[in-house]
Amino acid sequence: MRRYAAPFWAWYLGGMLFLALTNWLAVRIPVHMAVGIDALESDLSLVRDQVWIIAAMGLGMILVRTASRVLFFTPGRLVEFRLKNDIFRQLTRLQPRFFSTHEGGDIVSRAANDVTYLRAMVGFGGLQICNVVLALLFTGGEMFRLSPRLTGIVVIPVVVGLLVVQIAIFKMHALVRTSQRQLGELSDNVLSSLQGMQTIQGFTAEESFVARFSARSAAFRDTNISLAWIQATAMPLLLLAGSISIYLLLAAGGPMAVRGEVSVGELVAFVAFISYLLWPLFSLGWLVSVVQRGLNSLERIDEVLYAQPERPEGERGVELPAGAPDIALRELSFRYPGAEEDSLSELSLEIPAGTMLGIYGRTGSGKTTLLRVLQRSWNPPVGAVRVGDHDLLELDLSAWRSKLAIAPQVAFLFSSSIRENIAMGLELDKVPQSAERAALGPDLEALPSGLDTVVGERGIMLSGGQRQRTALARALHRDADILLLDDVLSAVDQKTERELIDTLDQLASSGREGRGRPTTVLVSHRMSVLARTDRVVVLAEGRVIDQGTHAELIERPGPYREAWLGEQEGAA
Amino acid sequence: MSSTPRAQADSRLLARIWPYARADAALFGFGMLLTPLTLALGLAQPWLLKRAIDQHIMSGELEGLQLVAGGYLACIVLGYVVEAAYGVAMGIAGQRTVYRLREHIFRHLLGLSARFYDKRPAGELLTRATSDVESLGESLSSGVVTLVVDVMMVVGVLIAMFILEWRMTLLLLCLAPPLGLVIEICRRKLRVCFNLIRETLAKVNAYLAEQVSGMEIVQLFNDERRSVQGFIDRNTPYKDASVRSNVYDALMYAAVDGVGSICIGLMLWYASIDSLELAVSAGLVAAFIDYLNRLFRPLRQLSSKITIVQRALAALEKIFGLLDHQEHIGEGQGELPEASGHLVIRGLDFGYKAGEDVLHGIDLEIAPGEVVALVGPSGCGKTTLTRLLDRRYDGYRGSITLDGQELSGLPLETVRKNVAAVSQDIQLFPETVRFNVDLDNAAISEDRLLEAAQLANAKSFVEALPGSWSALLRDRGSNLSVGQGQLLTFARTLAYDSRVVILDEATASVDPVTEHLVQDAIARILERKTVLVVAHRLSTITAADRIVVLSRGRVVEQGTHAELLELGGAYAELHEAGFDDGVELGA
Repeated sequence: MRRYAAPFWAWYLGGMLFLALTNWLAVRIPVHMAVGIDALESDLSLVRDQVWIIAAMGLGMILVRTASRVLFFTPGRLVEFRLKNDIFRQLTRLQPRFFSTHEGGDIVSRAANDVTYLRAMVGFGGLQICNVVLALLFTGGEMFRLSPRLTGIVVIPVVVGLLVVQIAIFKMHALVRTSQRQLGELSDNVLSSLQGMQTIQGFTAEESFVARFSARSAAFRDTNISLAWIQATAMPLLLLAGSISIYLLLAAGGPMAVRGEVSVGELVAFVAFISYLLWPLFSLGWLVSVVQRGLNSLERIDEVLYAQPERPEGERGVELPAGAPDIALRELSFRYPGAEEDSLSELSLEIPAGTMLGIYGRTGSGKTTLLRVLQRSWNPPVGAVRVGDHDLLELDLSAWRSKLAIAPQVAFLFSSSIRENIAMGLELDKVPQSAERAALGPDLEALPSGLDTVVGERGIMLSGGQRQRTALARALHRDADILLLDDVLSAVDQKTERELIDTLDQLASSGREGRGRPTTVLVSHRMSVLARTDRVVVLAEGRVIDQGTHAELIERPGPYREAWLGEQEGAA
Repeated sequence: MSSTPRAQADSRLLARIWPYARADAALFGFGMLLTPLTLALGLAQPWLLKRAIDQHIMSGELEGLQLVAGGYLACIVLGYVVEAAYGVAMGIAGQRTVYRLREHIFRHLLGLSARFYDKRPAGELLTRATSDVESLGESLSSGVVTLVVDVMMVVGVLIAMFILEWRMTLLLLCLAPPLGLVIEICRRKLRVCFNLIRETLAKVNAYLAEQVSGMEIVQLFNDERRSVQGFIDRNTPYKDASVRSNVYDALMYAAVDGVGSICIGLMLWYASIDSLELAVSAGLVAAFIDYLNRLFRPLRQLSSKITIVQRALAALEKIFGLLDHQEHIGEGQGELPEASGHLVIRGLDFGYKAGEDVLHGIDLEIAPGEVVALVGPSGCGKTTLTRLLDRRYDGYRGSITLDGQELSGLPLETVRKNVAAVSQDIQLFPETVRFNVDLDNAAISEDRLLEAAQLANAKSFVEALPGSWSALLRDRGSNLSVGQGQLLTFARTLAYDSRVVILDEATASVDPVTEHLVQDAIARILERKTVLVVAHRLSTITAADRIVVLSRGRVVEQGTHAELLELGGAYAELHEAGFDDGVELGA
């Protein structure tokens, strides 16, 4: 944190200076007023002098206070800006291991809300702390100088009021948190109802959904009513305390003035002092919670900023020569954090450069995990994956990834145009060819603006199949040495499927200048797809239980042959 | 709030809240009655202060002092009680009003037709039902009600000051125009800034949320640098706007403060020229300082409160805009005591937009207990036809009858009790497994629930879940596999006592073992109900009594699997290409 605030030391120093000036002025004005009032009956020219001094000080106060607030708050905004940028940059370097232990909403909330709370702490909080200290020092000091006894008396209700309000603020915070959580639950309830509207209406379940909604809505309402109680009864307490101080000023200070222990002008100055002190003291109540929340946020932000990106290769890793390398897995075992079983266990497999490898297996057999390890979303143990002459972990991460083209099982699209989704930062002019190769052509014709159709949040404007093929086009758009395709042909009809495999075949057999054929790893359930690969690996429970060509595998007893027989039967 | 038509529109909006507030009219009225009391007590305090100083302290007359001071104390304590009571009454009444409005919105949403939902993203409707209502609630409890008191307080303080010393008050009011000008300028600039901040921040957060969910893709495609740049590009205008807002905010705050001090100087000056008549006393100055405080406090908060009120009015406008949408399905009064499930479609035309029909002259009869499979290429109108049968869309031409009764002439509830539709996307709710199957329908007994689950091949995996039937599903059932989710929706369909089932087969790929369970469950539905199924699986198609082939919104072929293959037409072509086309274009 110091790293972010330190460059602004001059701002803060200036802010402090102006703030001290503000508080000095705030004390001097009532003092001059007291002098003026007391001189009213004796020396009018002295009164006029006070008038000019007060007017000048009032004007000065506008400038000085503006300056102090600008100087204090602006660094907070700039820190917010830099901190957000740094958090985002850090997020782009963190691996799925980090994201798997933090919900997406939680991460967004850290970069958005927590940074705001932190800003409130360094900006508002910093200003208020200084302000309260200075106000107490100047105003309290001046009051004490005028009359220690009177100060002692009038301070009592303010202190008591402050304590009560402080307790109320803590209670309020607990209630606010509850109310926010309940609002979140209410939102989830509405959203899931909207998404399931067809079911609700179709099964005439409207009443039971209204009942569920109302129960949550009522809980939320009741929390808010409790909040209203506290707000209405506790918050005006501080003002009440201030008024009681003024009452004490009359009841106790009055006789003192009559006895000549204080002047009437000083009594009036005390009225001004009390009303001036009330607000900084009041904000003190909020300050405790602002700081508390800010520190809590700081911790949450640090958790992101100081999370260690997984770069076993160090700053600069090995860069492989152009072309597809041989890949060899040796007794690769992998377990997700928190999982009870290995997702891959002692898996050994050769993927020679330029082959088209099919992977078959049931849900949960480790197919997707295998691809995610190869693309280093999750790092394998040292020595388990060899690429060319190197360990996978020695490779420079971005150099390795620039060799890959990946189409994941669940296509993720950004809310920009299809064109930009396919290009992903690469040149735009070849996008139409890539779309064509991924069999998107007919779909594009039916869309309102073709390639420039904006696909909406997560590609909501497109059907599942279209999303899948857009992601495939994105992979094909890169002239990669290794293609990792995870079940990308599951939502296409058989004719399109044939076209797509032809494309992949063509790609695989095209000798590229000095780089040889690309390697393709293709996960699929479909026999018609697997039949076209060079070799099929059958996975079960994270192990290779069989491998061979399609023709070989359907001859041997085993899950692959069973699945093939099942498909033949279904087709008959 | 500047122009009259605007103000009229605003008051019309406020009038529309009344039906929701009416039940708490007594509470609102009680709060309103307290307002003059708050004012009177607040205004009396400085006056008592002046009296104590001038008549007792200055003259050394201590006897009456304690009485006046006691009166002052009584005023402040009573003032506190009244203010607290007002706050509590308004808070409770406001929250209850908002609660009723929220429930009404939710009910309204449940009654709207699919045509309405086609045009609106869920996020927008969610904002209506939660955030918009929330900002209304916030302003009801903090803004609007105190705004009235604030304005009255400002007026009351000015009147009190006039009565005490009108010339001095006029003099002080000379400061009002310059102060007002500064505040108005700052307020205008701030409003621009705040709008800008809101817009830019929304963009920053939307980008952040999207990039975080797609981070793995960004990384896999080595696109980190562009992604970071995109963030900075959005974050910069936000920073600029917020830094700018700081300056005006600080100036506005400081101006009010400084002017308060200048007022004190002015009062002294006035006292000095006027002192021979001694109209200005120390007590008067003290009272004026107190009054000025009471004047500036609401003034300082006025702009932020006006913002809250404006936001609430904007929210109200959107909320009532939603409530004014009456895209309900038209209903009739017909009765249908016991349906057998005999569906007859005659000369059916339908289009989502006028003049763009997607179904043309469909004729189709489905006998009770019959299973009809609907097949055809993407966009041929299969899904559209199913949407008319459970009346998700209104406005068909021609006739659809169930047991001789025209669907549009029956109450919606009757149609949907007899025709259950299972959609292609698996709809699950973040509730218990039991709720997801019976949807809290009292007519579904425990036995029926278990039997349905058994038939749908869901019983064994449900009972293996930690918590079994009470296990909570996560968002959209993400803690179940796709196949399991499908089986649950089948159980839901089997538990529901409808004669006719419209089944839009999901095409999501599942592993072969689950696929077998799914096919098995579908077969049991086909055995028990009258079914029109949009089929993608060959196993489903061949299990149907009859296959109807649609093409470009028309029925082109009908018959059994063998007959249609024999025919060598559209069906044979589809069969050749493979049926597994999950792609349904458009709506």
